[in-house]
Amino acid sequence: MKNITKLKTVVSLLLILGSSYTNAQITKAEIRATGLTCSMCSNAINKQLKSLTEVLNVETDLNTNTFTVTLKENNELNPKIFKDKVEKAGFFIGSLMITAKSEIISKNPYVVVNNKKSGVTETQFQVVDKGYVTDKEFKKLSKTYKDISTYVLNSEDDFHIKILN
Amino acid sequence: MKKIIILLTLFTFTIQAQIKVGDTIPAFTLLDTNDNKVYSDTFKQKIILVDFWASWCAPCRVGNKKLVTLFETIDKNKIEIIGISLDTDKSKWIKAIEKDKIKFTQLIDPKGFDAKTAIQFGVEALPSKFLFNDKGILIAINPTDEEIINYFKK
Repeated sequence: MKNITKLKTVVSLLLILGSSYTNAQITKAEIRATGLTCSMCSNAINKQLKSLTEVLNVETDLNTNTFTVTLKENNELNPKIFKDKVEKAGFFIGSLMITAKSEIISKNPYVVVNNKKSGVTETQFQVVDKGYVTDKEFKKLSKTYKDISTYVLNSEDDFHIKILN
Repeated sequence: MKKIIILLTLFTFTIQAQIKVGDTIPAFTLLDTNDNKVYSDTFKQKIILVDFWASWCAPCRVGNKKLVTLFETIDKNKIEIIGISLDTDKSKWIKAIEKDKIKFTQLIDPKGFDAKTAIQFGVEALPSKFLFNDKGILIAINPTDEEIINYFKK
């Protein structure tokens, strides 16, 4: 009997953990790509992004050179996948804005760098790590965030985010 | 299973992708600036240079200027230059044609990289050029300006 109660606790704990994990998801990513050639003139980024099974739709805005990626529910993607895909296509990320469920910002790999409060259910943020902004901007940001010890470490496993809403 | 399906789709896609030197020109029917249907057959027995472009593609617009100059020098009975725009907004295409003063054949396949001709030819970047001989056989993909001029002079 005791064991069953224990098991129940474990199961419910797992369920809670599981649900909070799946809730912590990215719903949309807006990627501005940069490179030596015209990023919109190539189908490569589009193709790379569409190759992800989690991707519902990719839209391109020719005026802002932005790819807007809409993701399926309950995906477990993190920002690195977008960087990898864009780089695989032969380009770089100029900026990456993400819309996600607000719980995401309290999760492990995310470090918030500004004081702004996020929205209750949904939050928008920019990833400000090296490789997610232009080199020029990264130099500037390194000065701004020099007191954030994890920022200067440039680890690939954490994401420093600036809340926008 | 899902992976196999994806792999298969990718594989079939690769097979379809880009026409090769030696291939015959894919058949197409597209609209011109006056909404008239233009069939690829129309240009039979001519040397054909197909140029895929879009109004928003800066390098393409630079290329247009070169093609406009080139067009003035060629024997129009023997050579046809065909611009195929992937613009989704027809009005921007028309404006670009006027601005660049294009006089050679202009057609539109208004679906971006998803356009049927873009897939038939295997266009993965803009601009993309395809040079066919008078028998409709592809002889060069993205030839240089010099290569085009030399071929046209023959």
